[in-house]
Amino acid sequence: MNETLLDLQLENAERLNISDEERVRAKAHFFVHCGQCSKLCNGKLRVRCALCKGGAFTVHRDPECWDDVLKPRRIRGHCESLEIACVDNEAGDLPFVEFYFKCAEHVSGGEKDFAAPLNLIKNNIKDVPCLACTDVSETVLVFPCASQHVTCLDCFRDYCRSRLSERQFMPHPDFGYTLPCPAGCEHSFIEEIHHFKLLSREEYERYQRFATEEYVLQAGGVLCPQPGCGMGLLVEPDCRKVTCQNGCGYVFCRSCLQGYHIGECLPEGAGEGAPNSCEYTVDPSRAAEARWDEASNVTIKVSTKPCPKCRTPTERDGGCMHMVCTRAGCGFEWCWVCQTEWTRDCMGAHWFG
Amino acid sequence: MSSMSPSERRLHKELMSLIKEPPPGVTVDTESVQQNLSEWKINIKGFEGTLYEGEDFQLLFKFNNKYPFDSPEVTFIGTNIPVHPHVYSNGHICLSILTEDWSPALSVQSVCLSIASMLSSCREKKRPPDNTLYVKTCNKNPKKTKWWYHDDSV
Repeated sequence: MNETLLDLQLENAERLNISDEERVRAKAHFFVHCGQCSKLCNGKLRVRCALCKGGAFTVHRDPECWDDVLKPRRIRGHCESLEIACVDNEAGDLPFVEFYFKCAEHVSGGEKDFAAPLNLIKNNIKDVPCLACTDVSETVLVFPCASQHVTCLDCFRDYCRSRLSERQFMPHPDFGYTLPCPAGCEHSFIEEIHHFKLLSREEYERYQRFATEEYVLQAGGVLCPQPGCGMGLLVEPDCRKVTCQNGCGYVFCRSCLQGYHIGECLPEGAGEGAPNSCEYTVDPSRAAEARWDEASNVTIKVSTKPCPKCRTPTERDGGCMHMVCTRAGCGFEWCWVCQTEWTRDCMGAHWFG
Repeated sequence: MSSMSPSERRLHKELMSLIKEPPPGVTVDTESVQQNLSEWKINIKGFEGTLYEGEDFQLLFKFNNKYPFDSPEVTFIGTNIPVHPHVYSNGHICLSILTEDWSPALSVQSVCLSIASMLSSCREKKRPPDNTLYVKTCNKNPKKTKWWYHDDSV
């Protein structure tokens, strides 16, 4: 087994032209994200039998490209782990090898201590300047586009941050929530999303949250509109009354994302009692930051539910789940849990909670 | 140099190369840049043999800390705003590489060249048809405008 596997990054022709000096410089050439070190580390490639997972395995040839390593059933070999050698099928064909990666920077924690390979990260043996800052860095990320655009890792992080803050990651059907080459090249999406682990922990968590939300929305689901909740909910297409199950328990209208109500949704902003017909307009994002009473509005939104009939925000201060709207002229009897009319079923199921 | 952010390093390099090897008709107002690396004034000349021959224009480039992943904000400033079907009288420019088609592989130099070529290919000096309404209602930042790039022949 080729221990250093320098050549895996290179095309055949390049492999022949490389000098000894460059060989030394390029010696650490696998990068992994190590969960234990929680950073980008040098990695090492390991083999095992794809069938019995035993490590005593002789490959028939060395891997020559990343596909040989990352995709299954590419290279066969002899398994010597068990007394009776593994075979792939009834005809007795030899088994395939399975490659995996370990972190080379901490003492191995055994069989299950493996690390995610970051195949786009390479030693910059060709001294390509970064697309963004134009510095020549030692370690770079090479995008999988035809031009193989290069960025340094700092600029890659900047790129991810700027796209994350604008929610510009794309849901790719096979790879997940990912980014293309920043130069906008075709077919350039990052396939191994562990590359985004190069972000800080908080940023990666944000990435994961956005990815989950995107998945929920793509699947026709909704996000709970309650401030501070945002639970993803998958609901039947024709269901308008949504309950935030396993989340905050809020019951809301799927169409207007306000508390659940009977009858048609009110037009946006109508509930706030502000006449919208003035000619003086302001930038809505600035207006959102400049609200005197925003904090109270959030409190009201979190601690109340609207009367399902007249939508008056109602606070439940103890007692049972049977609510009677106190607004003059309404008097609707409703259930705090279901946010619909109070029924015998409510009485049976959750009268007192 | 090492205390600079990647964005500042990139701007610094672009500035040096633009001062050392400026494309024809393009000069950086180094005084403006010295005061603030994130706002550059750039002078461009109307090329000979075009409708803008003999005219001088000034562009203002504003960069945020996401540059080059975010496009620069580019407008014409000063007393002479070119009369051109894609340039509004307030200096805003309708050019797709300044918003949707921006890529970090582009640069200040390539933006200047695109603008120079946009001017050079013009066959009739006139303002955009919606100039009056746009100038009255637009945001100060042209990047907030949702441009509709309807014609790339000029």
